[in-house]
Amino acid sequence: MDNVTYLANIDHPVQLGVMIAIYFFYTGLSAGAFVLSSLGTVFGIKKYKSIAKAGVVMAIALLAIAPLHLIGDLEQPQRFYTLFYRLNPHSAISYGTFLLTLYPLNSVIYLWFMMRRDFAQGAVTLTGFRQKLYRFLTFGNGDLSEQALAKDDLWIKRLGTLGVPLALLVHGYTGFILANIQARALWHTGLMPLIFLMSAMVSGTGLLILVLILTERFLSPEKMLTPERKALILDIGQLMKWFIVVDGTLMVIDFIVLYYSNAAGYAAAEVLLHGSHQTMFLGVELGLGLLLPFVLTLLSKTKKSLGWISLGSFCTLIGVIAMRVNFVIGGQQLPLSTDTLNPYTAAPEHLLMIGIFALAEIVILYLAFRFLPVYGLPKNPTASPQNFKAGHEVM
Amino acid sequence: MAEAEKKKRYAMVVDLRKCVGCNACTVSCKIENQVPEGEYRTWVKEIEKGTYPEVTRYRLPRLCNHCDNAPCLAACPVKATYRADDGTILIDYDHCIGCKYCMAACPYDARFVNPIRKTAEKCTFCYHRVQAGLLPACVTTCVGGARVFGDLNDPQSLVAKLIANNSVQVLKPEMNTKPMVYYIGADRDIMGARYTNLEKGVK
Repeated sequence: MDNVTYLANIDHPVQLGVMIAIYFFYTGLSAGAFVLSSLGTVFGIKKYKSIAKAGVVMAIALLAIAPLHLIGDLEQPQRFYTLFYRLNPHSAISYGTFLLTLYPLNSVIYLWFMMRRDFAQGAVTLTGFRQKLYRFLTFGNGDLSEQALAKDDLWIKRLGTLGVPLALLVHGYTGFILANIQARALWHTGLMPLIFLMSAMVSGTGLLILVLILTERFLSPEKMLTPERKALILDIGQLMKWFIVVDGTLMVIDFIVLYYSNAAGYAAAEVLLHGSHQTMFLGVELGLGLLLPFVLTLLSKTKKSLGWISLGSFCTLIGVIAMRVNFVIGGQQLPLSTDTLNPYTAAPEHLLMIGIFALAEIVILYLAFRFLPVYGLPKNPTASPQNFKAGHEVM
Repeated sequence: MAEAEKKKRYAMVVDLRKCVGCNACTVSCKIENQVPEGEYRTWVKEIEKGTYPEVTRYRLPRLCNHCDNAPCLAACPVKATYRADDGTILIDYDHCIGCKYCMAACPYDARFVNPIRKTAEKCTFCYHRVQAGLLPACVTTCVGGARVFGDLNDPQSLVAKLIANNSVQVLKPEMNTKPMVYYIGADRDIMGARYTNLEKGVK
């Protein structure tokens, strides 16, 4: 009947809020960056080899911060460690606990093998703080013989090959966290892990482009964007275009099926497309976050401009944050027993934590790119030229 | 066989023909379980349907369904949510980490965060009272006798008889949660959510 009035009921505020949405954003960035880094080392596409280290450094730095959001969101944060031994094989979170541990560990070892040669060379050729740091980071293995380097390459390949499924799982599981919940119509679709993976690739590529531009310009030994570097960044921009296409397609498929779904699914689609979330969904998530970057990476004029590509990359980040918020919070705002959207107000302490974590993330990224040989060893006028023949100087 | 007979499965039948919407259950539950202000383990949802003079009010006392196939049980990553021997779904407050995933998983809005204890919380079928041989507080206090509590596995129990001899409904049966709170005479417009306002694009 149409003339139904709700007289008495109680509010059911949204429980998984902005901390969880931002956590999904971080893991997505991490997984995306890792997969891009593996293009050179695992899939053997040579031109991407020069960004492999940057991608992994990003992946690790992001995943170092991401779980803090989860712990910060707990009502009993001091009990978080019980996740490691009070396991529930039916809960996606239980799997996530181990993925979130294994994946960064694997990435750190993978990165070490990629940087061992630089550490070993740096321990000999550099001076001062960096020399001490690099000597320590060789962990006593300063062997620069052909066999040792070949062994490094083998391990890079092995750990990278393990890292790709781990990265996909680490982000895929976040999709399952939502998809396994039948109660929430917007979440409960087999597409959810794929949607999360593709938006991870979009935002991961977006952030990688921005980080590459900034760090190559200011923190690499050359302190400039060489033509090769610029070409590679624009090339990654073209990769991003295709990720956007797949991500957008998945979203369209999801919404078509939602419209043919039950009452709750239909309502979910309506709320995002025509209802209160229209601006956030159509405007920010799709328009600003997918369509604009797509156009910028498509048009022949803008796709060759670092400025426009940076803008597009930045927009993908905004768009994917909006996507996480729309799906995580929006999915819970759809009522289960009331006639209005479930209320949500972001707790001030959560916003504060997100701000602090974001600052910490920037500091970690800065320190990593400043002090690790992501782009090879710093120029050292006293060092003899043959120390640089490894090729890191020319990318 | 003897073992199976001994095994209890507690359930509740809410006979809505007898519910007057007085909210005595809501109050007694809050007192019995010391539920903090603003939170409810049980509450009475009420709607008005029709156009004057053809208009009727419908009520629906709500509580945890203690589902046989409970999504919250599957969701809890630290097994703080567990099932007692009598089928009741309980929360181990000493182990709940407060991740709130169970609240996202419950299709019935039954759970909330206790702002004082900082854990998930919900109706326990007054487990502490039932263990002591008493009825849940809401059942004891129900003025119309609408709430009936008992062992579903005992064919002579009132709940088993009511379920056998009446058309009963459960909330959201399509979710396959197998709820253990049965309703007699529940109106379809009150049993779930109402999306009409949202679909019209009401902001």
